[in-house]
Amino acid sequence: MKRAIPAVVGAATALALVLAGCGGEDEPADPNAPVTITLAGWSLSTTPEFKTLADGFHAAHPNVTVELKEYDATNYDTQMTADLAAGTAPDVYVLKNLKNFYTYQSGGQLLDVSDTAGGLASVPSLGAYQVDGKTYAVPYRQDSWVLYYNKELFAKAKVAPPDGSWTWDDYAAAAKALTTGIKAAGGKATGAYQHVFQSTVQGFALAQTPGADLLSGDFSYLKPYYQRSLDLQAAGAQPTFGTANTNKLTYQAQFGKQQSAMLLMGSWYIATLLKQRVSGDADTFDWGIAPAPQFDKSTTGTSATPVTFGDPTGLGINPKAGKAEQAAAKAFLGYVAGEEAGKALAGIGITPALVTDAVSQTLFGLDGVPQDDLSKFAYAKHDTKVENPVSKHTAGLQNLLNETHSAILSGSTGLDPAIDEAQNRAKNEVLNQ
Amino acid sequence: MATLSRPRPRRSLVWRNTVAGWSFILPNFAGFAALTLVPVVALFYLAFTNWNVFGVAEWTGTANFRRMWNDASFWTALKNTVYYTVFHIPLTMAAALGLALLLNRKLRGVAFFRTVAFFPYITSIVAIAVVWNQLFSPEYGPVNAFLRWVGIDNPPGWTTSADWSMPAVILVGTWRYMGYYMLLFLAGLQTIPAQLYEAAQIDGATPWQRFVNVTLPGLRHTTFFVTVMLTIESFKVFDLILVMTQGGPGQSTLVLSQYVYQKGFVENQFGYASAVSIVLFAICFGVTLVQFLVNRRVER
Amino acid sequence: MTNHSATATDVRPPAGLTLPGRPTARRRPTRAWRVAGYAALVLAAAALLLPFYWMVVSSLKTNNDVFTIPIKWLPDPVVWRNYADIWQRSDMTTWLGNTLLLSVAVTTLQVLTGSFAAYGFARVRFPGRDVLFLAYVGTIAVPWQSYMIPQFVLMSKLHLSNTLWSIVAIQAFGAFGVFLMKQFYETIPEELSESARVDGLTEFGIYRRIMLPLSRPALASLALITFVTTWNDYLGPLIYLRSPELRTIQLGLNTFVSQYNAEYALIMTGSVLSVLPVAVIFLLGQRYFVEGIATTGLKG
Repeated sequence: MKRAIPAVVGAATALALVLAGCGGEDEPADPNAPVTITLAGWSLSTTPEFKTLADGFHAAHPNVTVELKEYDATNYDTQMTADLAAGTAPDVYVLKNLKNFYTYQSGGQLLDVSDTAGGLASVPSLGAYQVDGKTYAVPYRQDSWVLYYNKELFAKAKVAPPDGSWTWDDYAAAAKALTTGIKAAGGKATGAYQHVFQSTVQGFALAQTPGADLLSGDFSYLKPYYQRSLDLQAAGAQPTFGTANTNKLTYQAQFGKQQSAMLLMGSWYIATLLKQRVSGDADTFDWGIAPAPQFDKSTTGTSATPVTFGDPTGLGINPKAGKAEQAAAKAFLGYVAGEEAGKALAGIGITPALVTDAVSQTLFGLDGVPQDDLSKFAYAKHDTKVENPVSKHTAGLQNLLNETHSAILSGSTGLDPAIDEAQNRAKNEVLNQ
Repeated sequence: MATLSRPRPRRSLVWRNTVAGWSFILPNFAGFAALTLVPVVALFYLAFTNWNVFGVAEWTGTANFRRMWNDASFWTALKNTVYYTVFHIPLTMAAALGLALLLNRKLRGVAFFRTVAFFPYITSIVAIAVVWNQLFSPEYGPVNAFLRWVGIDNPPGWTTSADWSMPAVILVGTWRYMGYYMLLFLAGLQTIPAQLYEAAQIDGATPWQRFVNVTLPGLRHTTFFVTVMLTIESFKVFDLILVMTQGGPGQSTLVLSQYVYQKGFVENQFGYASAVSIVLFAICFGVTLVQFLVNRRVER
Repeated sequence: MTNHSATATDVRPPAGLTLPGRPTARRRPTRAWRVAGYAALVLAAAALLLPFYWMVVSSLKTNNDVFTIPIKWLPDPVVWRNYADIWQRSDMTTWLGNTLLLSVAVTTLQVLTGSFAAYGFARVRFPGRDVLFLAYVGTIAVPWQSYMIPQFVLMSKLHLSNTLWSIVAIQAFGAFGVFLMKQFYETIPEELSESARVDGLTEFGIYRRIMLPLSRPALASLALITFVTTWNDYLGPLIYLRSPELRTIQLGLNTFVSQYNAEYALIMTGSVLSVLPVAVIFLLGQRYFVEGIATTGLKG
């Protein structure tokens, strides 16, 4: 019922476009024709980004109303798959994880938005959504992994804080020194906390190791990274994987409550930490952001560009959307990747797809954000690789490597046999499909 | 089990019975057929296709089943499922029957104890996973603290060890479901005529003899139901393992239902996932059928 | 497991043995035994209630005190405010209302249609009955996550998705109730319905007047189990319901979890609140399992 009016409007618009001979425009011919597009989001009351985007766009295009449709955060893709299969999905939906982009794109559930993307060439992560030269989605946020550290615990343990020159060996040495230093000072915190996600090891290994290729089925590049984690666990410099898993440790409490002095996490944690400081769920302490530790010295130091990883979050258009909605949705996509939306997102602590100086200034203007130069450098400058390449085999390999992750870190399987098994399984169960 | 009298099977009688039978079954069957049977039949078709949920399913014959034959993860999942089932069924059965017998007497506070026994089944599964995982926590958990206290120096790693994760899950599975099956046994115990016990007592039967000669035979129909349901539920175990171990560490607790979910919803290979679930179905159905046949023979 | 029932025929109720014999030589357990028994029961109850206890304690803690190494078994400080907070910050009233509505509707339908259909399967003999029954039981063996997409597409075509009707539709016509009730009807002696038939009762009359009253414990357990299953169902509402005002308690709580993903104390507060109504209903329902109901004890 609701669709009927916009559909008529859309048909009329299309006809008008043809008559006027001005095809190629993104905007509807009648800019005042009212259109409502639906947008999928999750946890709306605590995830303000969707409303920020919707309101920002509506302010610039008063005739377009963006209506939010709420999904479950953890089971977003399951619900969206069901809705798309049944034809009940909203006009614009979020690609929450890049690894599901392949599913939606190859399944014909994403409209070609190359014409919109043409004007967004400066957005770095746009390439992640391109297949055969066509663009199927537009990123609006781009998180990347950085090192969070507690300046007060560093001082207490008398360990030199990160200066941007760290390789992984420096990081491991610091974690151990911190643990002993904090203990000597009468504290109980560990030097580091490594969350149970597989990305905490595999994301860095794949992004930083020269020549590493997930799709080659050769996973030997993971070994040094796992070896270091195992060493840190054995040395007691971070809670073991088993402890973190069985006690459901949360990285928010580990870092926010000063249980650990260092935490590798995505830039989304900035907003969370700020919020928890206000609510009292996190302590108020002096903290900072440093670039993630590097594979070798060649990418360290503030004159180089540190390599890290992080997936973009994008928006795509449901091909079943009406003509008028599609046009409005394309305009919306053009908006979300731009600087205006970027500043609005930075205002709520989110890292947008395009980080400009203005965006950085907005974010560092927020109350509670560290003001030192290294934090600003770490936030703004990095070469962020996608966590995984987009391919038919990615989901399968990810699953298998997740099992490998728990097998290695729980100590169930030795490092070498575990990697060998993963390679065999990749060859026999995934890459041959 | 002779139903009705035993007259010559007259045509009109067969007709009348068919109408009567269907009129009883129809209200439930209509809903069942439309909402469950149709999708299940579709599933049988999809198992022979390559389907990514969105497009048209492409017929690939037995390709999915041939792939499964060479899929080591499938076999691991099958092996784990059987492992779980083989231990979960007898343990739960014994615990449930024991509880039912214990709580089927006139006992002060029996309502309270029954409710307590049912509690694991109604407690939120997330809370269960959290608490049991903490209890099993290798370094700090009370279980291992106790084991160390009684002199076991190297207690198992439970959910963080590939060898002990399945026993841990089986234990929690039994703990969770025994109250549920206790309820069914309780209902079954109500159908045993008290006279039988009185007669046995007059004959001087010991409690054990009463149990073997009165209780067990009297519970036959219930036991059969519990066995079938327990078998199916064990083969289909999913959410408990998902929240407790997510199939890990490694693949040590990966079970078939979870494999189906992984292949379907995570890797978007719904055709293959359908084929795996058909195999799971066939195994359950085969075991159930054997149980039916055995049951029928026993009834004769 | 069903072999023991071979002895079923060994114990026949001696005809006419309803004489109330002398108070039989039932051994009175000594006081010490009784105390030991209760102590064991209380201990077992404590083990069963442990996760629930942990939920209650966690619901009275601050968020970051919930997961600690080692576990804190007592809240310090005690945060009663969580219980006020959850009513303010979430839609508990709506969730509870929806869940109650669904549970009652599904239970009613399941018990009515299930027990009705079960009579057709248990007592009316017609061609194709056993095959049809196997199809019923067989579908229980198919994992739901493998056919939920086809089912969802079907329901969307019927415009039922994102309505409470969808949950009623998929839950109410399950095979579980049919199977359960059939098993219990079969414990009721055929002679009872036979004599009723002679007295001129219709099949429906037999169902209504004889079978239903005699299977009260079974109906009670079916109702309890269906109620709890619907109450605790998460995956069904997750797939079918989108609008916030339709959320059930489990769906609501889980959304709440992912929304406030570090607010564990509040999450546990919600979990405690979701368990309590079920516990009360169980406490009320379990009184249908009273020792000594001899279902066949119709004096005749």
